[in-house]
Amino acid sequence: MMKDAFSTFHPIVNFTYFAAVLLFSMFFMHPVFLGISLLCSFCYSVVLKGKKAVRFNLLYLLPLLLFMAVLNPAFNHAGVTILFYLKNGNPITMESILYGLATACMFVAIICWFSCYNVVMTSDKFIYLFGKIIPGLSLILSMVLRFVPRYKAQIKVISNAQKCIGRDVSNGNILERAKNGITILSIMTTWALENAIETADSMKSRGYGLPGRTSFSIFRLDNRDKAVFVSMLGLIAIVLAGAAVGQNSMRFFPSLKLPSLTALSMGVYLAYLALCLIPVIIDTVEENKWKHM
Amino acid sequence: METYVIRALNFIYPLMEKPALKLVNLKVESGEFITICGKSGCGKSTLLRHLKTVLTPHGTQSGEILFHGKSLAECDQRTQASQIGFVLQSPDNQIVTDQVWHELAFGLESLGFDNQTIRLRVAEMASFFGIQTWFMKNVTELSGGQKQLLNLASIMAMQPSVLILDEPTSQLDPIAAADFLETVKKINRELGTTVIITEQRLEEVLPMSDRVIVMDEGEIIVDDTPQKAGERLKAMQHHMFLAMPSPMQIYAGVENDLPCPITVRDGRKWLDTLVSEKPVFAGPALDADRATPERHFQQHIAATGIPDATNNPVVIQLKDVWFKYEKDLPDVVKDVSMQIHKGQFYCIVGGNGTGKTTTLSIISGILKPYRGRVLLNGQESSKKSNQERFVNNLGVLPQNPQALFVKKTVELDLYEMLSGMKLSQEQKTEKVKAIASLAELDGLLSMHPYDLSGGEQQRAALAKVLLLEPKILLLDEPTKGLDGYFKIKLAGILKKLNATGVTVVMVSHDIEFCARYADVCAMFFEGGIVTSNTPQAFFSGNSFYTTAANRMARHLFPDAVTIEDVIKECRKSLCQTIS
Amino acid sequence: MQEKPLSDNKLSRRTLVAIALIVLVIPATILFGVFFLGDRRYYFISLLIIFYTMLPFIMVFEKRKPQARELIVIAVLAAIAVAGRAAFFMLPQFKPVVAIVIIAGLCFGAEAGFLVGAVTGFVSNFFFGQGPWTPWQMFCFGIIGFLAGILFKKGVLQKEKLPLCIFGGLATFFVYGGIIDLGSVLMFTPKFSWQALMATYISGFWFNIVHAAATVFFLLVISQPMIEKLDRIKIKYGLIER
Repeated sequence: MMKDAFSTFHPIVNFTYFAAVLLFSMFFMHPVFLGISLLCSFCYSVVLKGKKAVRFNLLYLLPLLLFMAVLNPAFNHAGVTILFYLKNGNPITMESILYGLATACMFVAIICWFSCYNVVMTSDKFIYLFGKIIPGLSLILSMVLRFVPRYKAQIKVISNAQKCIGRDVSNGNILERAKNGITILSIMTTWALENAIETADSMKSRGYGLPGRTSFSIFRLDNRDKAVFVSMLGLIAIVLAGAAVGQNSMRFFPSLKLPSLTALSMGVYLAYLALCLIPVIIDTVEENKWKHM
Repeated sequence: METYVIRALNFIYPLMEKPALKLVNLKVESGEFITICGKSGCGKSTLLRHLKTVLTPHGTQSGEILFHGKSLAECDQRTQASQIGFVLQSPDNQIVTDQVWHELAFGLESLGFDNQTIRLRVAEMASFFGIQTWFMKNVTELSGGQKQLLNLASIMAMQPSVLILDEPTSQLDPIAAADFLETVKKINRELGTTVIITEQRLEEVLPMSDRVIVMDEGEIIVDDTPQKAGERLKAMQHHMFLAMPSPMQIYAGVENDLPCPITVRDGRKWLDTLVSEKPVFAGPALDADRATPERHFQQHIAATGIPDATNNPVVIQLKDVWFKYEKDLPDVVKDVSMQIHKGQFYCIVGGNGTGKTTTLSIISGILKPYRGRVLLNGQESSKKSNQERFVNNLGVLPQNPQALFVKKTVELDLYEMLSGMKLSQEQKTEKVKAIASLAELDGLLSMHPYDLSGGEQQRAALAKVLLLEPKILLLDEPTKGLDGYFKIKLAGILKKLNATGVTVVMVSHDIEFCARYADVCAMFFEGGIVTSNTPQAFFSGNSFYTTAANRMARHLFPDAVTIEDVIKECRKSLCQTIS
Repeated sequence: MQEKPLSDNKLSRRTLVAIALIVLVIPATILFGVFFLGDRRYYFISLLIIFYTMLPFIMVFEKRKPQARELIVIAVLAAIAVAGRAAFFMLPQFKPVVAIVIIAGLCFGAEAGFLVGAVTGFVSNFFFGQGPWTPWQMFCFGIIGFLAGILFKKGVLQKEKLPLCIFGGLATFFVYGGIIDLGSVLMFTPKFSWQALMATYISGFWFNIVHAAATVFFLLVISQPMIEKLDRIKIKYGLIER
């Protein structure tokens, strides 16, 4: 497991990357594209989270993939290549099996990409990106993110205090426990609301509500970011061009039909592979720099 | 140029008859450091909040407030937001966002500065306050002291010309508080920012102040340099003296007309002069016996008599107790053994993170040691059920009393405590009445718990806990944020309980309080008890970790620990010199 | 708050934007989806429609430059809901979130209800993990809060336990359960089919029942004290009025 260098890039680079790979993974029902997406998301999740990701991917995502692949033919009976009939008379077709497999791949890839997204796109990056467009809401987000850990700690304090007056959530019958749990929630609510008044004072005191509020960020778009951003946009353009000429999808029904392999399609595949691998490439380069220094 | 001129300011809260501020006249020169003191409810916070329009409470107001020569009401919000910096009491409540850097920039964002300017200002502030090491952290990871420093820095980033602080250190431990006040001093000295502060910890803040303003019942009664203010208060025989630093209190208790000492260093000099030279008496001494309610109380105790508790049976016993929070974490409590007798007032003192609070939680059974035994009344604590442990046995007052309030009035809250018990309505009423009078809550029963002051909340929470009729009372820093007056009240209640055989175990940073009231003090360091003894033996044996009175007088009266001890010794030695 | 004349104005502006979206943008999206998106059209069209419904709320909220105290109330309520969702992590589906969102809508109006719900849905996934389900949850929580606010304003819903519990149970089961299940069908299955939807509804039946029961339970127990607390805050600090 190495330290992720891609996370240190400007949020706009991070966000564009994830937006692109997520949308492309959802749209392009093409074996090569799905394969690339699945493989790259798997690689990146391992780079980000190490052994934990391997275990998660194999233990949860693989069975999910198989389950979904089996599920589709049970509902979907389209397709011309009939393999056999079910007891209720519905046919199982080759097309629907492959289609199920493809959608399962897509879904698992998306889950896997999201697991990477959750590591890289931390809340402060999100708040930065949307701070200018939706300043009020993004401030609410920031406040909620501040309050939640505080409230969780307070719940602990309150439940200990309650335990010390003989009211324990962890024992007693279910009704008592629920009652004590509600008491804790109720104490917490009052505490939170009354204490928030001072927070509001602190905001007003620091001039919140004056017209012309700006939104500061510590993120800077430097040359490194620009270089990666531009190359990313280039690759996205190639992939989109491929989509426009119909290289990125295949037909499943009524019968399977893949777009033929040409130099153009090879180019699009490579562009997509490069796009998906950007973080892994950056991380590897970064790692090697330190090895040779 | 005056920063503030206040003329004949009156203020009455809605639905109240008594004014919160009465004819307040005050001038604040630019660059001054002004401390406002007075017991809670004297109107000092109300006065501070009048210095910034957005924080001014609702109510009827008369008189005028000028800011930089212009009526404050006419100053636009933008000027006020940037020019008047306001730091509030709670380190946690003031923080709005989840990231340190964002918090620092918050005010500047409101003022509409561009990214480049904010970047520069934030960098400046982070360097000035030494925040750069935790600049990128999440707010949750900070300590209380760091949070308050962040609040100060995020206000200073707006470059205010006046900094107003409303009891900023009341929630901090002594070390963090001293750090914080030192930074405030630095701001005042190095940037020339006017500082107006209200504080309970006058020992630290008075030596920094140019002027002290003492308020009582909404009026300014003294407005002078710290030294002169001390002399004036002494002349007035005012009870506010109880809140003054130890050297000033001792000064007031001894007949003399030397200049009033403020710091321990001044106090030592004063004491030397007092003892070596024969001073001429002119002014009357503050009659300590009459002026302090606590004296009353001590006389009362002396009359009724509390037997020495060490002969009583042992109620709490810890045997070789070890504790850590997780398997891979270091030990927090290491090999602690202690015995606490019935009816004792046992204080655990020591720095932050030495395992004091953890030990308290081990006694209460919230935490379980992985080695060693905890015996309550000779029985294994871990074998008891929660019900057995906490009803009629152990009472725990949490550090934050708000963790106990459920209902919308204090009275309902007290009844709520009895809801699970099989008692008739009359019995309940009787119990609540008795407890309310013990905790001095009589006038507060119909109020919302959150509308009470900190000291009143403390007593209301204590009353709740006492309804379970505990035989052992565990307290975690009960004096935090209380003023001198409320501390004496609390001590009175605790001593009354002691007299009825209740054992009190308390964890505290407040050594002055422990020295005065404890039967035994134990010092924690590195997860273990370093020493434990009676307060007198304990504090006179220490040279740093001891009361201010002892530090001031130890070269002459090594056994004098409390202010009263020193005053007594002074009087004795004066009598000798005279005769 | 409902007597404030301004809020009527706001409502109508939001309605205008909403009408514009419904008449123009949504059909355009559907056409675009049908012609260009191929197989994924159901999912994307539904997702975009969800975004469009949330958009007017966000726009109106940002446009009127909310006060510090409004932000605080929404943030505190959302944080309580998120912390509540986390506090009951050991009981799947047994969460107080919907109950809190309903109470928020009731006490602070439809807009606040929607925002508390949507923010809760979004932020709680910072702790539980963002995924394709995030917009659906935001939408469902939000719309329940919105409905509670509207129905209270229209007098259908009172601050009494029984109507609240009935509304809470129905809203959780049909609005939340119904839409989330629809969303997962659109997410999981490549081609929308009624059988798949029915199958999901049947398999999700007990989950939704538990969830609805939790909402009823929480509303039964916490609604009165919560409403009392919120009303006290409103009066004591003039949080929403003024």
